Amino acid sequence: MTEPSNTDRKVTSLRELPHSIEPPHDLWPGIETRLGDIRTAADGATPAQRRAVRMRWLAAAAMVACVAIGVWVGRGLLPGPAGSGTVAVNTSRPQAVQPPVNAVPHEVYVSDPRYQEQRAALVRELQARLAALPQPERDKVTASLQAIEKAKADLEQALGHDPSNALLQELLVNTYQDEMRVLTDVHEASDPGRGI
Amino acid sequence: MPHEQAEDTRVDWEGALVQRARTGDRRAFERLYREHAGRVYGLCLRMTRDPQLAEDCTQDTFINAWRALGKFETRSSLSTWLHRIAVNVSLAKRRKSGRVESPPAEEEAEACEWTLETPVEVHEIESAIGELPEGARDALVLHALYGYSHIEAAQMLGIAEGTCKAQLHRARKLLRERLSVEVN
Repeated sequence: MTEPSNTDRKVTSLRELPHSIEPPHDLWPGIETRLGDIRTAADGATPAQRRAVRMRWLAAAAMVACVAIGVWVGRGLLPGPAGSGTVAVNTSRPQAVQPPVNAVPHEVYVSDPRYQEQRAALVRELQARLAALPQPERDKVTASLQAIEKAKADLEQALGHDPSNALLQELLVNTYQDEMRVLTDVHEASDPGRGI
Repeated sequence: MPHEQAEDTRVDWEGALVQRARTGDRRAFERLYREHAGRVYGLCLRMTRDPQLAEDCTQDTFINAWRALGKFETRSSLSTWLHRIAVNVSLAKRRKSGRVESPPAEEEAEACEWTLETPVEVHEIESAIGELPEGARDALVLHALYGYSHIEAAQMLGIAEGTCKAQLHRARKLLRERLSVEVN
């Protein structure tokens, strides 16, 4: 057993024994080599970095799931284009801007003048249209729109860390499209003569 | 107080190094290793009594620490955290080598000052500690040398607090016999 330095010194308490005993030789080169193996296995990411990336993906996935549920609930309550016989077909329904998802990044989608114009018009009318809906439907639509806003913010933040991520871009475009669908449905549902 | 200020500075400096190491900065981690290697190796050596095994345990301790840095809370003591890892690694290595002993029955607490009636040379005490049975030595090293409480030492060793106290009682008795001095 390696003796601590100053071993001839006399002590009267075990607390006086040296806490630190230097290894007989430098162990760092061996440790560093093994750390290198760990980093290679992890594609250069530390555990903290891997966890952060995983958390971002989980957050994005959770938000998308939340949006899907919100839209599903909203569409179940509001009449769609092929609604029941009690709802008249609205031939003047605005056509949502549908750029090719795979080919167009989210920046192209949101900068499309048709999208901006259509969204601005729907948002301007939103409060008045919501006021025409019964309270339970109004609450559900509001919750859906809030979930969509949160999803957009989360996805934009994730894209800030990984701007070229095609899946995140696609999810964001899908979220913009979901928002347009909800806005359009609210517009139609509250149209005079259409009823819920 | 100057000592407290020095301690604060050390902790702040250490916290900054931990943060940098978490981002993958190996130089920062090396500085943490340089700061703590002696204390970790000292504990591993006292627990294993085998310099080669203690080196392996020290390396594994820092490798495990690197992997788990994300879980370390910077408010707590890095030294204590590393000691916990070192104890786990040392116990695992010992179990792997088949060196397992049965613990003594639990006992009531007794006052543990761990002072010697007459001064004894360091190497003589180290030798007597080294000859203790593993369980008694582990409890003594953590409690009497490194100053962990009964409950902390018990948690680190994965045993009941009463068992830890019983091991300390046994260690005191054996040290008294081997050093031929009263251990209070």
